Amino acid sequence: MVSALLAAVRAELTKIFTLRSTWVVTGLILALHLLISVANLRLTTEAVANITPDEHIELFAGESRPARPALVDFMISMSFQMCLFLPTLAAVLAGQEFRAHQLGQSILAVPRRGVLIIAKTVAAAAYLLLVSLAIAGISTTFMYSAVQGWDPGVLTSAHALLGQSRFLTFAVLWALVGYALTLISRRTLIGIIATVALTAVTMTQVLAVSVPAVDALFPLSAGRNLLLNPEDSRLTAGRAHALVVLLLWPTFTTAVAGLLLNRRDVR
Amino acid sequence: MIEVAHLTKHYGGRAAVDDISFTVPRGRVTGFLGPNGAGKSTTLRILLGLDRPDAGTALIDGKPYRDLRYPLHTVGALLDGPGSVPERRAVDHLTWIAQSNRIPRRRVHEVLDLVGLGGVAKQQVKKFSLGMGQRLGLAGALLGDPEILVLDEPINGLDPEGIRWVRTFLRGFAARGRTVLLSSHLMTEMADTADEVVVIARGRIAAHGRLDQITAGHPSLEHVFFALTGDQGPEW
Ligand SMILES: Nc1ncnc2c1ncn2[C@@H]1O[C@H](COP(=O)(O)OP(=O)(O)O)[C@@H](O)[C@H]1O
Ligand SMILES: [Mg+2]
Repeated sequence: MVSALLAAVRAELTKIFTLRSTWVVTGLILALHLLISVANLRLTTEAVANITPDEHIELFAGESRPARPALVDFMISMSFQMCLFLPTLAAVLAGQEFRAHQLGQSILAVPRRGVLIIAKTVAAAAYLLLVSLAIAGISTTFMYSAVQGWDPGVLTSAHALLGQSRFLTFAVLWALVGYALTLISRRTLIGIIATVALTAVTMTQVLAVSVPAVDALFPLSAGRNLLLNPEDSRLTAGRAHALVVLLLWPTFTTAVAGLLLNRRDVR
Repeated sequence: MIEVAHLTKHYGGRAAVDDISFTVPRGRVTGFLGPNGAGKSTTLRILLGLDRPDAGTALIDGKPYRDLRYPLHTVGALLDGPGSVPERRAVDHLTWIAQSNRIPRRRVHEVLDLVGLGGVAKQQVKKFSLGMGQRLGLAGALLGDPEILVLDEPINGLDPEGIRWVRTFLRGFAARGRTVLLSSHLMTEMADTADEVVVIARGRIAAHGRLDQITAGHPSLEHVFFALTGDQGPEW
């Protein structure tokens, strides 16, 4: 059973890595992140150069904050904004099954639906983690360039490492929602549209303002609640709540995807 | 051995297959014959665990396909439909299939050579002709060196040389004591390839037996087919 699962995971990883659109979308996301980072570098470096003797920084005009947490939060929020695109990547990974009826071939090779869905999810999570690590790496390099003349130690502080691991957790869990929604809808485009809709719920802040308790149940809101600082953003729940919401979304959607895979004819 | 018993499948109230039963013996080529829309693909998809029957069972060596561990070592299948993502290279397509069933990588190159695609292994599948795609599908079916082959209209899209190659290959495959079940709506192909035939029409079994017994007393298999299925379809 375990060896069959490992074999299936390996096959799923090969499917991911030998798909051209995987590389195209991954490349676009990383290139965009690099571009934004480079564009931010000059202003951030200037802000670091102007850190006051009592270690306050003005990253955004008129907002003076203690430099160390402010710089770390800024680095994490740089990574966070790239997460908007991760579900699209996940949808592309999942959607390949519905091109040229590849799913039929997958089911012939791994007919036990439970094994297949777990293998697919594990492989996708592993790849998404890799991309998230690259995103975190770019953000870190960017911040290192900005703070190297001041105190690079800010990047290895407990606060920074905790923030990075929270980011990685969120990035993978949130993207897996896009993955599962695509498996459910059997269309890449619908998977993307569904996650864009989920994104809009959080970004428009309509619920955050009117019914924060409901807003906190949405995955991207949970990501914001987990990662961002209450001084910079309107948060609607605590971190523990956010983590539970973030775990429930991919668990529930993946379970539905598995159930449907088990019950529907393969198309 | 393949055993199909009382298999029934409806699509929107209409029966695509209606209480069909037959067995496919070992060491033979069994043709699954019927006009377009007769229910061949539906039957084979249920046999291979892709679709769910409304009633009945389809077993391979006494088990549903779903319960086979590393099924490609037991059954190789070529279906109408399942294929490779167009931008994937042929070798990559076969590699993931092989990995899923713990088939060694060297076997990928063996089957590519076997079906005559060794020279285009690194090409994207979208550059393949219909016949090459069909050969790639066959290569996938052969990966696990299976005891049983289930092929849905494998001749479709092949050129005359490809057809001859498939026929010779299947005869040799069965001669080594292995089992082949292949569907077709083409009479002429069956006459040269199959030992046994199962004839299906409108979702029901119209005849089942040795090819020579079924054709006895008729001028040709084509006449038998007309008589059994009432099919005058110009498509074949
Ligand atoms: N997914 C489907 N949805 C609705 N009807 C279908 C579907 N698949 C097959 N059918 C119908 O079931 C019947 C049998 O089809 P099929 O098994 O593909 O026949 P064959 O392979 O012998 O040509 C046909 O009438 C076909 O229209
Ligand atoms: Mg058919």
